Formats: sequence, structure tokens, C-alpha cells
Amino acid sequence: MKAFINYYESLSCAGNTDALMDAVYSGKSAISLDNSYIKERFVGIGKMKGDDFFHSLEDVVTQVLKKSNLENYHNTLLIVGSSVGGMQESEKHYFQDKNYKNIDPAKHGIGVIQEYLQKQFHFLDTRSLSTACTSSANALLLAKRMINVGAYQNILVLGADALCYTTACGFSSLGILSSKACKPFDKNREGMNVAEAVASLLIQDTKNENSIELIGVGASSDAYHMTNPDPEAKGAIASMKKALEDAGLKPNDIDYINAHGTGTIANDAVEALAIETLFHATDAGVSSTKAITGHTLGAAGALEAIISCEVIKHQKIPLQAGLENQENQNINILKKSVQKNVRYVLSNSFAFGGNNTSLVFGTVL
Amino acid sequence: MRVTVNIISAAKVYATKNIEDLEEKRIVPNMLLRRRLTRNAKIMLYLCDKCGFSGGKVVYASAFGELQSTAAITDDILKNIPISPTLFQNSVYNSAPSYFSLLYGDKDEIITISSGNKSSSDALKIAALQALVSGERVLCVATECLDIDKIEEVNSCTKYLESGAAIVLEVTKESKGAKEIQNIKEDGILRSLHEIINVVNMSAMGDKKIFIDL
Repeated sequence: MKAFINYYESLSCAGNTDALMDAVYSGKSAISLDNSYIKERFVGIGKMKGDDFFHSLEDVVTQVLKKSNLENYHNTLLIVGSSVGGMQESEKHYFQDKNYKNIDPAKHGIGVIQEYLQKQFHFLDTRSLSTACTSSANALLLAKRMINVGAYQNILVLGADALCYTTACGFSSLGILSSKACKPFDKNREGMNVAEAVASLLIQDTKNENSIELIGVGASSDAYHMTNPDPEAKGAIASMKKALEDAGLKPNDIDYINAHGTGTIANDAVEALAIETLFHATDAGVSSTKAITGHTLGAAGALEAIISCEVIKHQKIPLQAGLENQENQNINILKKSVQKNVRYVLSNSFAFGGNNTSLVFGTVL
Repeated sequence: MRVTVNIISAAKVYATKNIEDLEEKRIVPNMLLRRRLTRNAKIMLYLCDKCGFSGGKVVYASAFGELQSTAAITDDILKNIPISPTLFQNSVYNSAPSYFSLLYGDKDEIITISSGNKSSSDALKIAALQALVSGERVLCVATECLDIDKIEEVNSCTKYLESGAAIVLEVTKESKGAKEIQNIKEDGILRSLHEIINVVNMSAMGDKKIFIDL
């Protein structure tokens, strides 16, 4: 069976999916400057509108249901990808009480998201993944395989992460937070923007007139370092190659690459090398939409899958926001959004532990 | 959808506080790497060694992840102490299998499941899927390390603060003699580990072919 992405919705600092795509195509960053997480300095942060993360989860999942051909989710598997789960709740109690007494262990972990949504929507079953910043990309990878083998007909993939002190202060400790909106692939980039988002896609084994096919998936491990990518980019190349192979495509079939492109010195140099190595003889356009949304961590794979689907539907490749001086001149980073025949899009997600996932989306033939 | 899997090897380990001898020096001779390992990583590496698994697809499960690192980070934030970068890199849920990848140079796929109480149950389902799709043997491993200061303020779940179990499985088309997973776990084991401990115990009793519903 083929895996068709039939309905989706998202909420990020750029707003809902329509507002997000307006920002993506116009290059208007939704990052704001903030010193509530890092007290000693202002950094660029991607904060969602809305005061309650769990209400945002429920709202996005409800919107996908309303758009869909389903009456309910009772015959749908939910796969959640998140890197922090309920951490922000645990932090709140610990900072207030200075002990663990009011922390509910069931609400601390990644599983809290599936448990909350299961109570609201009564899914057929649930799974939750946490591979840091590839979490929801890996949720999509598994969803495709489950549909391919005929295990499920409907799978709702949800990428969700809320801002919390642990991630903001943690990335600050690595010295990789940008003091302004990040500038992926720019010579003078400072680093990344920590951000939050909720992104959900309904994947089904039957297509409709608006379907985008999740046509190829690939994953690899760097086996190099816990946080730094392999400077020879072998892991990133391997995950992209595997996704192309799974899709039955060659590099010159890809029209657009939605890069992981966090804006850090290490990631962007290595990812650009990987793209240069594999796509040097092609005219695939490249950009990172994290310049608009920030790095939404475990939600990034799902959010950028939605952007990839929108790029195919709009037949328009987005520019690289924030770019002034391109570092690697051997990849086709676009300075203006371009209307073009877009058949296939590749999206990258890379994570701590050298965990790499690439996804290929295609027009339904 | 139901598949039949052969259990190739299996291991488990648990203790009320610290598991005493995880044979780190033998398993991880590189001192620099060994000193960075989390407790979950040490338990996982011990179990992999017992299962004879040193490369291939890994499905790891933990309901609570790297609790020691995350607890230390939140405490440092509360006290306005700079966070150690090593502590932060060790705080992600996929730290343990990532250290496995580093130790053995394993460049294959790593999936980490964290589904609350059904973490190891879901990990078995995902491991069976990965084995079905790839035709390869897959490691399924689950660990929990709750041994942090003042854990008694929240722990009403388990008497074992460190625990883990692992199996290596492969999918088979021959379902003759396969069994449903039996409920034969020890008392006091954390719920997130119940299913995989059941499978390890079945394997020890000679039941090495089981059904898994994807």
C-alpha cells in the first residue's frame, strides 16, 4: 500500500499553516527576541500564540479531523514525536516547590501527549517516539512503513514540542543560540533559535484529489559524536540516499530540498557538504524554513513535512530567509521564491546522537 | 496485523538501587567514552553484550528517559548554575542507543520509544515492524533509571530503581509453536518494562517464538 498525506494542520510562531506559508514565501521571520529563558541576554525565540500547549494540541488535532474524511479517530493510530513531552510542567512545579512532591510522573515524560489526546479522541492505538530533533520525522518514517505493510489504514502523525527552560538553557550551554533570527547557510550565522510548534498530518492508504505521497524514507546514524555532526557528512548523505532509493528516485528528480538548516556553524556546513555531494549536478533548490519558524525540535520533522506538501501544492519553491552572504556556493540556495514545476521534495531532519532522517514527498501520479 | 518472531537472544537486569557490576571497563575500554555514559547507556550496553548484539537496527524504549541528567539540569537552572554541555547532550531520550552507536560504530537506524507505561510493549511492535520491513535481526531494548536524590517524593511505581531488558528478534513465516506473550513478570518491575520482561522470561523458559501485533 502507498502512504498518502491527505490532511494536515500546524501551529507555530508563524501562526497556522496558511500564515506560515505566507511568511515562508515572503521571507518574514516570526522569531522574537526574548530574555525570559536566558536571563543574561536576549536570544531569538519562536513562541506560539496561545496560552496552553495542551489546548493547542487538541485544537490542531481537531482541525485535521474536521478537514478529513473521518467521523472520528477510532480507526486511526496516533504516532507522536516529541523531544520534551511534559517537561515544562515538571519544571513549573520544581521551580515553584523546590521538590518533586507535586510532579506527576505520568505527566513528566513524552507519553503525556498521547495520553492527553487519547482521552479526548479515543484513537485505535498510540505510539510515542523521542529521538530528539528527528522525533516526528521518524514518526513519519514509521507511519509510511506501517501503511506500506498494511498494518493500518489511517495514521495521525503529530509533532509537538513546547518551549521549556531545559532546552533553551541547554542549547545556550552549547553556545549555539542566535541573538536574532537565525541565518541558515550564511557565512555570518550565529546559531539557532529554539522554538515550539504543533504539527499534525493524517496519512492514509487511499488517495484523494489533494493527496501528496510520502514516497520515500531513509535513516542513518553518524556513529561520530553525541552533538557534532560527522564533518565528512557520511550520515546525512546516507539518510538522503536511502530515502531516494526507497522512493525509486535519483538526485536529479528532486526539485526542492527543505534543509534541516538550523543556523548553527556545524550543522549548516556539514549539511551543505552533504547536499553538494549528492545534488551537485542538479538544480534542486535549497532552503531552510527554520529562519521563519526557528528550530521546533521534536516537532520540526512534521512541521517541515507540511511545508514540503505545501511547496508541491503551490508549485513554488521558497527563498532562504535571512541570507546575505552564502557560505557554500555549490548548492542552489534561492534568494527569491520561485514558481516552478515541483514534483518531488526532500526534507532533512538531524538530531543529537547523530540520528539522521530524510523524507521524500511527491505529487500523486 | 500479526507477525511471528523468533527470539534469538534475551537478557534482563535490575536492582533496588544501583546495579553493581555492569562490566563497563570490559565493554567500553575507551575511558573518555566510558566516563560520559549515562546509567541508561551502561545498562543498555551490558544487555547488548549479554545478547551478543553489536550492530544493526535498534529500537530502544524508556518511559522516563535520562532522569538523572534532566533532574540535574533543572536543579542547576533553579540555582542559577551554568549547565554542563555534557549533561545537556546526555538528557535526550535517545542518549543510550546513541552511545551504543558510538561504541560499535553502528550506522544503522535507531528508534527511541517513550510511550509511558506501554513503552516496551510499543517498542516490541516497532521492532517487529523494523524486522519485517528489513528482513534483518533487530535489537529491542528497554531501560529505566530512577535513582536520583529524593526520588521517594514521587516514586510509588517500582521497588527497582534501575532495570532493563533486551531481546534480539527476527520475523519468521513459520508460526507453528508460537505463543501469545504471557504475563510472567516479577513483582515490582516498572510498568513500562512489563512486556519485554515477560518476553525475556518466556525465552528463558524455552518459549522462543511469539506473536506480536503491529
